[in-house]
Amino acid sequence: MALTEDDVRGIAEYATIALDESELTEMTAYLNDAVEMLEPILQYAAEDVEPTFHPIGDLSNVMRSDAVDADRALATEDALANAGAARDGQFRVPSILGGGDR
Amino acid sequence: MGISLDTLTAAQIAAGVAAGKFTATEVARAALSAIETREADVQAFLQVTPELALEAAARVDALRAAGESLPPLAGVPLAIKDNMNLAGTRTTCASRMLENYESPYTATCVRRMLDAGCLPVGKANMDEFAFGSSTESSAFHRTNNPWDLERVPGGSSGGSAAAVAAGMTALALGSDTGGSIRQPAALCGVVGMKPTYGVVSRYGVVAFGSSLDQVGPFGRTVEDVALALDALTAGGRDPFDGTSQEAEGGFAAHIDDDIAGLRVGVIPAFMEAEGLAPEVKAAVEGALRTLEAQGAKLVEVDLPHLDAAIAAYYVIGPAEAFSNLARFDGVRYGYQEAGCTNLAEQSSKSRAHGFGAEAKRRQMLGAYLLSSGVYDKYYYAAQKARSLITEDYARAYEQVDVILMPASPTTAFKFGELSDPTQMYLSDMFTISINIAGNGGITVPCGVGADSGLPVAVQLVGRAFDDRRLLTFARAVERGHAQAAGVPGCVVAPDFAGKGGELA
Amino acid sequence: MRELTEVLKDWEAVIGLEIHTELTALDTKMFCGCKLSHDDAPNTNVCPVCLGMPGALPVPNRRAIESIVKAGLATNCEIQKHSMFYRKHYFYPDMAKNFQTTQGPVAFCMHGKLNLEVTGRGAAERPLCAFGDGEAASLASASANAEGLSRQMAEGLPERAGGALAGMAAYDTADLAVAERHEDGSYTVPIRILRIHMEEDAAKMVHVGGEEGRIGGAAESLIDYNRCGTPLIELVTEPDLRTPEEARLFMEKLRRIFLTIGISDCSMEKGSMRCDGNVSIRRRGETGLGTKTELKNLNSFKALHDGLAYEICRQAEVLEEGGTIYQETRHWEPSRKRTVVMRVKETADDYRLFPDPDLAPFDLSDEFIEHCRAELPELPDAKRDRFEADFGIKRADAEQLAGDPETAEFFEAAAAGLSGKAAQTVANLVVNELAAYLKGVGVALAASGIAPAQVASLAKLLAEDAISSNQAHEVFEAMAESGDDPAKIVDERGMRQVSDTSALQPIVDEVLAACSDQAQQYRDGNQKVIGFLVGQCMKASRGTGNPKLFNELLRQALS
Repeated sequence: MALTEDDVRGIAEYATIALDESELTEMTAYLNDAVEMLEPILQYAAEDVEPTFHPIGDLSNVMRSDAVDADRALATEDALANAGAARDGQFRVPSILGGGDR
Repeated sequence: MGISLDTLTAAQIAAGVAAGKFTATEVARAALSAIETREADVQAFLQVTPELALEAAARVDALRAAGESLPPLAGVPLAIKDNMNLAGTRTTCASRMLENYESPYTATCVRRMLDAGCLPVGKANMDEFAFGSSTESSAFHRTNNPWDLERVPGGSSGGSAAAVAAGMTALALGSDTGGSIRQPAALCGVVGMKPTYGVVSRYGVVAFGSSLDQVGPFGRTVEDVALALDALTAGGRDPFDGTSQEAEGGFAAHIDDDIAGLRVGVIPAFMEAEGLAPEVKAAVEGALRTLEAQGAKLVEVDLPHLDAAIAAYYVIGPAEAFSNLARFDGVRYGYQEAGCTNLAEQSSKSRAHGFGAEAKRRQMLGAYLLSSGVYDKYYYAAQKARSLITEDYARAYEQVDVILMPASPTTAFKFGELSDPTQMYLSDMFTISINIAGNGGITVPCGVGADSGLPVAVQLVGRAFDDRRLLTFARAVERGHAQAAGVPGCVVAPDFAGKGGELA
Repeated sequence: MRELTEVLKDWEAVIGLEIHTELTALDTKMFCGCKLSHDDAPNTNVCPVCLGMPGALPVPNRRAIESIVKAGLATNCEIQKHSMFYRKHYFYPDMAKNFQTTQGPVAFCMHGKLNLEVTGRGAAERPLCAFGDGEAASLASASANAEGLSRQMAEGLPERAGGALAGMAAYDTADLAVAERHEDGSYTVPIRILRIHMEEDAAKMVHVGGEEGRIGGAAESLIDYNRCGTPLIELVTEPDLRTPEEARLFMEKLRRIFLTIGISDCSMEKGSMRCDGNVSIRRRGETGLGTKTELKNLNSFKALHDGLAYEICRQAEVLEEGGTIYQETRHWEPSRKRTVVMRVKETADDYRLFPDPDLAPFDLSDEFIEHCRAELPELPDAKRDRFEADFGIKRADAEQLAGDPETAEFFEAAAAGLSGKAAQTVANLVVNELAAYLKGVGVALAASGIAPAQVASLAKLLAEDAISSNQAHEVFEAMAESGDDPAKIVDERGMRQVSDTSALQPIVDEVLAACSDQAQQYRDGNQKVIGFLVGQCMKASRGTGNPKLFNELLRQALS
């Protein structure tokens, strides 16, 4: 069943990507094309085989020791250097509930 | 008249520096002069870093002056794909999202190349966040194929491939999620390798598909690529990447091993694949004859589930990409939309305006494929197909030591030629399956095609963690082609050879 | 609104808890080598990994995995050898990657159990129908429900087809243990643990410009990622709890266990141990489940109890008035003693869970698990039973002493070689005097400087009747502050209790002469007045007389 623009609006909201109406139309067309291209995969859902989530052979139980890594730690100013907004050594975001329609 | 860098391999540059024939600083200046004269046409770089290259060169020269032994790639100019962090540079992923992002740390792969003595000359252009096969989705500019400026260099590591093909650097790093090293290598006529997943650390490389991504080198010779892989794996597995594993090493040392008696697999269905250009097919057949002439035995193999690879890739890739790119919300770094009254608006507009079209498409597709009720039908099925494809390869390698196939179905295409995204996806038909299965592959150029006059190439695909043998076969193809064509393996695109790049 | 005890006469509550515990005993975060700290300046313990910088990758902390395995072993869970980390996606900046790394349908620890012993007033709250066959049916239905939830969570996430999912239905519902009432009115109830999984904590956000730092009305929010990536284990119980008292006891018991195995400081105040409660109610005797609400901000044992109690009463009132309970998240406001709606859940959240490709799966070896088992200290229940058996002290005191590793060790040292009344005297001092003193001065036991030998010496003085229990309080304070031996303090202050009859008799005579009215009342049959007379004797002896002897001498004189 094809995805509707409403479906796609819902996905965009979840994915936190603001799309205007024309982008929504294009995106809906793309997603339906892509999903159609992916159809051959559906038949494998019923295969009696373990899925492979990690293409790494038998690698398992990878752990590190509980030791402080001071070399990798960032100074606060470096941590904040790429932030669009910061205040008092912290990252700043606008009101979470305020403004707009929320 | 000085020596042109165009005539030197990475191995020869390192040997020359070590022997005192020329200094690393002279190499750095020569590389920067080549970039200065050629970059306007090729546009391989998003950022050129002369200070970093000269600093690294000065360190090499100081070492030599102090009588210390030099690291193996001392003085070799290196281009770094712009999805790899290098402190002191911006890492933009060719996206508006990260246009001003200053790397706070250095990726392990980059660190290891620098530790091996390489000179970082710049950050190479790419498809935005590596989503693409032509480098056209870069938010900043296109990169032109050095063999024909009206054509794409391939992608997503198009800038890396073009920089090497145009002789602006001897080596480059790329990343390969579905063919992003091997396809541009084929289109630009250079060697490009995707090692087995886990051989090279992904730490510090901006993730696209975490279970698919692998870092690898570009060079103009198989030996250079082998030397780069030695450098990338020196020091063993990376404790910062939990999926990295110990590699066998000794890659360059074994490239000239004998292949007599070893078995080369061919997949008949691939040779008859729809869309495979006759000149590419001819290159594969030529390589087969070359390997046979060196004593290898040809065996036909079948990979029955390979038809699922593209669909599996376009499920797993976008799903992982959605997840990996969720962090770009304009809060900690990256593009932040101004003037928003609340967080939701700021995040959704930052993502809408920071990402380009293809990045948004892939994330939307991924978000859909992971949603409840859809996940089991697609994602779970794709991971099952992945098991079957992996088993196919394992069975094939009971019969053969390597498999030979095309890398790209065609030679370089023109800008805008593949405008439909789903059509573009099919250009990865020969490269994708080993990202799914995790084993290694390498593109080896075989001169220019009879029809197009553009580079043609073949791809060798190896067993998982058998990357050494893969390089041995690649060297055999390279050696055979050089003998047959009467040219050296190392060729800079003719329009650029000799323009700048002279050692003073 | 009616009182809880009234409500519980008609209604039965069904409560499940989700308990998050930060592994504060570790040195570093879950997936990177950043220091764990609650107190450092904002964004000082951060690195590319816990800030979710592009390209950074996680590598799990071995001690975190050992800690959760220990937690599972200590709560009678089955340790799952094969499990994976998953990514749980939601866009909120307290998660640097906009996903939380957590576990999927199979957690490291599944299907555990803790027995609660409920005594005293709270024991009356569990209704009769929550014992015996009726309860078995109810638990079976709850299990089916929980199993359904697990399956819902597992939908589309099968890993190791068959095997792991079969583990979901691990309960033999015909064989479920239920609460058992004892003759004294107390009861024992097994509380099942669905799972304990490993995950990472979120960053701290401060909402600026709003009321009380609350999110509503705030002009902006500031984010400190120091806490982001702190190893966190989440324990989810089955909905087996029936009263707020049981919920509180469960939480206390779990806290004692986690403290004992040394994985966390378990501070509810600092937020290193946090609890959410899911509660629904149904008419007594019914076995189906009502609509549940989820309670947040239950950040003390009292808040846990009172929040649940309020919510049960609120739900009862709504239902009794013909209203409907909505599935929603509610916030407990301790100052106003009420819960308020935070968010209504119309549809199930879709977190897009999938196995984290950056983290290799786990296949824990027997060796790894046995290594963790070998490192487990004696657990509180075993210690309580041993204290009760070896020292002959009261079970309630043994439970309290065994609950805190430091206190238990202190008690054992102080009571070494003692039993019966002497050991009980030590226990009383530790449970009452010591605890009250430490609470009063706000110091931890280790930092107080009080030695077990001091308490042992004080207990000896009490046992010898050298001082009265009232005096013991004064001596304890003095001993704690000076560090002196109690015997020395008693001597210096002339407090040693006089048990010499010849010294006490004159005082008795004096008091009887002064209080002739009361003496007459006693002779007239008012036995109670003897207390007053003993008090007068104590006063006259400036507290040094032995009250038991005064009592005897007075009775003799008045008979």
